[in-house]
Amino acid sequence: MEHMIRLDELTKRFPGQLAVDSVSMDIPEGEIVVFVGPSGCGKTTTLKMINRLIEPTSGRIFLEDEDVTRINADRLRRRIGYVIQQIGLFPHMTIASNIATVPRTLGWDKQRIAERVDELLELVGMDPEAYRDRYPKELSGGQNQRVGVARALAADPAVMLMDEPFGAVDPITRERLQNEFLRLQDEVNKTICFVTHDVDEAIKMGDRIAIFGDDHGIQQFDTPEMILSHPANEFVEDFLGSGAALKRLHLRRVREVALTAWPAAGVAEDRDTLREKLEDSEQSFLLLLDEQRQPVRWVSRRDLERGEGRMADRGLPVAAIIEPHATLHDALDEMITSNVGCAVVVDREGAYQGVVDIDPVMTAVNTLRAELRERLAVGSWHAVPTETVEEGTS
Amino acid sequence: MSITAADTDLMQQPAPEAEPRSALGRLLRDPGRVWGYIGIPIVVVASWIAVYRWIAGLELDSIEQRWLNADRVSRAIIEHIQLSLAATVLVIVIAVPLGIMLTRPFAKPLTPLFIGLANIGQAIPSVGLLFFLALPFLLGIGPRTAIVGVVAYCLLPVLRNTMVGIQQVDRALIEAGRGMGLTRGAVLARIELPLAVPVILAGIRTALILTVGTMVLATFINAGGLGDLINGGIVNNRTPVLLTGAVLTAGLALLIDWIAGIAEEVLRPRGL
Amino acid sequence: MQALGEFLARRWPQLLELAVEHLLLVLTAIVLATFIGVMIGVLVYRSAALSSLATAMTATILTIPSLALFGLMVVWVGLGDRSAVIALTAYALLPIVRNTVTGLQGVDPAVNESAKGMGLSARARLLRIDLPLAWPVILTGVRVATMLIVSIAAIAAYIGAGGLGNWIFDGLARRGSVVAMPLIISGTLGVVAVAFILDGFYIVVGRVTTPRGIRD
Repeated sequence: MEHMIRLDELTKRFPGQLAVDSVSMDIPEGEIVVFVGPSGCGKTTTLKMINRLIEPTSGRIFLEDEDVTRINADRLRRRIGYVIQQIGLFPHMTIASNIATVPRTLGWDKQRIAERVDELLELVGMDPEAYRDRYPKELSGGQNQRVGVARALAADPAVMLMDEPFGAVDPITRERLQNEFLRLQDEVNKTICFVTHDVDEAIKMGDRIAIFGDDHGIQQFDTPEMILSHPANEFVEDFLGSGAALKRLHLRRVREVALTAWPAAGVAEDRDTLREKLEDSEQSFLLLLDEQRQPVRWVSRRDLERGEGRMADRGLPVAAIIEPHATLHDALDEMITSNVGCAVVVDREGAYQGVVDIDPVMTAVNTLRAELRERLAVGSWHAVPTETVEEGTS
Repeated sequence: MSITAADTDLMQQPAPEAEPRSALGRLLRDPGRVWGYIGIPIVVVASWIAVYRWIAGLELDSIEQRWLNADRVSRAIIEHIQLSLAATVLVIVIAVPLGIMLTRPFAKPLTPLFIGLANIGQAIPSVGLLFFLALPFLLGIGPRTAIVGVVAYCLLPVLRNTMVGIQQVDRALIEAGRGMGLTRGAVLARIELPLAVPVILAGIRTALILTVGTMVLATFINAGGLGDLINGGIVNNRTPVLLTGAVLTAGLALLIDWIAGIAEEVLRPRGL
Repeated sequence: MQALGEFLARRWPQLLELAVEHLLLVLTAIVLATFIGVMIGVLVYRSAALSSLATAMTATILTIPSLALFGLMVVWVGLGDRSAVIALTAYALLPIVRNTVTGLQGVDPAVNESAKGMGLSARARLLRIDLPLAWPVILTGVRVATMLIVSIAAIAAYIGAGGLGNWIFDGLARRGSVVAMPLIISGTLGVVAVAFILDGFYIVVGRVTTPRGIRD
């Protein structure tokens, strides 16, 4: 099976209005395909035709090479995870029952359901003990959205449809959810259709992007690199907006670039050791870590010398912290706000890994440009970027 | 799978067709209102005709003849309307001004008390109240007791409607009025009352229906009305009499509600 | 007042018996009306036109004076409890139908969409999602309906049904005697007491049957 989902000339006509005009698309297994475009362009309608919440006027839908255009819609939907912006958790059910909805419908036994619920909660980073018996109203928006994702994954569907899943949360939570979701996708490797109206989100999340236009059809369907470097037409160019070079930073993740080693030491170490460590380096700040190796303070030589008092109260707090999954765009953003001019990279547990400063970002912009030029020259349109960029970034 | 109503709200639907401009056009779009304004009078009149034709085809015995003649029936109807109207007027004259008074600032603390009373009052059976008042050492039997009892029974619901109607007037409007320099009285007369008119009208309609319905019980305390026919039918075990009484009574109540509904529609201030 | 005390002391067990009869009469009608009313609500709530029609027609029933409806029931079914239950059920429909429609229409569309997107069948969505979520509103309707028919049920004694109305009508029949007043008062207050008991019962039912996630 080459393609998980195939749309064949899907068209939707509402009374007196064309919503989707003959959309054809092959969606490869294990990829995130983002539908993006201005409102009213048909991206959401197209998504909802895949699980037949909206029935197509004409055209066909294939799932795993099976024509599902006419099969029982409820049974089809149980094979497809569905996440919407408003989440739609069932307020009268516990988190566990929410997640268990589809497995229960499919007739799984209790033991298996309970195990699956705990597994999923852990997968989305929530402690099963603490959350399984809570109710949606007792959780924050971000937590509810995680449960929404867990619920969609419950019966391990091969395909997930996500309709602006992170549209309703604040920007900081959104970025965290995006990163978590990308990490999750590395583990579960689903085929995902993802609707957004946010170009930056599309570039960040998508293995491929389908740009829908005002004519209710697809303007361009390609990898983010190709869309950024070679917009198919004026509409796509306008839609991407200015700053395409900056947007390319969405395409590379922190874990793909070499981290700069920065002098770091535990808060508990004595002053002389700290001073020595700082002097051995070329930097003017020392990074202090707590017992869990989590970054806590930046201290300068002056901070080290000055008077008495706990080390942990000296210097400046560490503000710019990112995870390896963040894009260089996120890293640059953090860097600009940081007082030291670099972003601290931590792992899932929050332990110090290294720092990113401006150099790899500049290198990335330049190599990306060069790579694209090169690839266009040989005409390899569909090369997957992450495999080819490892070298040359350090 | 066909597209159900639930599907349609998932779609981005084109703007609905323009609302029909004429009152009749609007009426015909809502089957509930079609039933209320057109269906009910048809059903009532049809049931009256059906019962009349059925009775006309029967051989009536002497008891039935005593009840089912034009004089006796029209007397029952007229009595019923007179009694009900008297009670309704009394209810309105007492309950509406009292309701307005009780929403004035000085009476605010009493509001929950009266609304609570109205709720409890609903649990008191009308027959209990009426028969209690008819005890010989109180008011005794007769039309006077029927009116007093029915008024007492219907007072609280109408009072509650009026109070709720005035209370739900937007506080911001009252403050705007006060801010423009209107006196409390002017605010009441020019803002609160006009805005509460729909609710007060609904209260009057409720009063009318309640009194017409409760007045049927007047027959038990020898006060006349349409209850006489129903009671006569049951006591004498004469189905034609009972059916005539029941159908006339039900129809009269429905027709009065129908007229009140139309009056409500006509009297409601434009723009609300 | 002294007469009333003596009367109650003497006939307390009978009062209790009548109160239980009254309660059962009302509860039978309410159970039937809840069943029918919720069914009607479920059938009509998706269509504004049908909802309006259902509400208007059940409201019409409530406009019919109780004695007239009881009279019609006597013609149709005859004297006794059955007639009373049918009429009381009909009276209880409006608040239940109306609240079922309101409750079901008030279910968050996002909840419905996600339930549908997960592949729950129409039946499963109704039974597992929509009705449980609408239940607090429906229950309020049932409670309003109960308060409405508790007092109407007193009149049902006239057509041969059981319940506290019997003492009220007895009292009227013996207007001249000393027991008239105690009969009417204890019958009337008994009805009020039954109403209070049922009201308390609904508070408990509401607590027990409302899922914790949607309790206030």
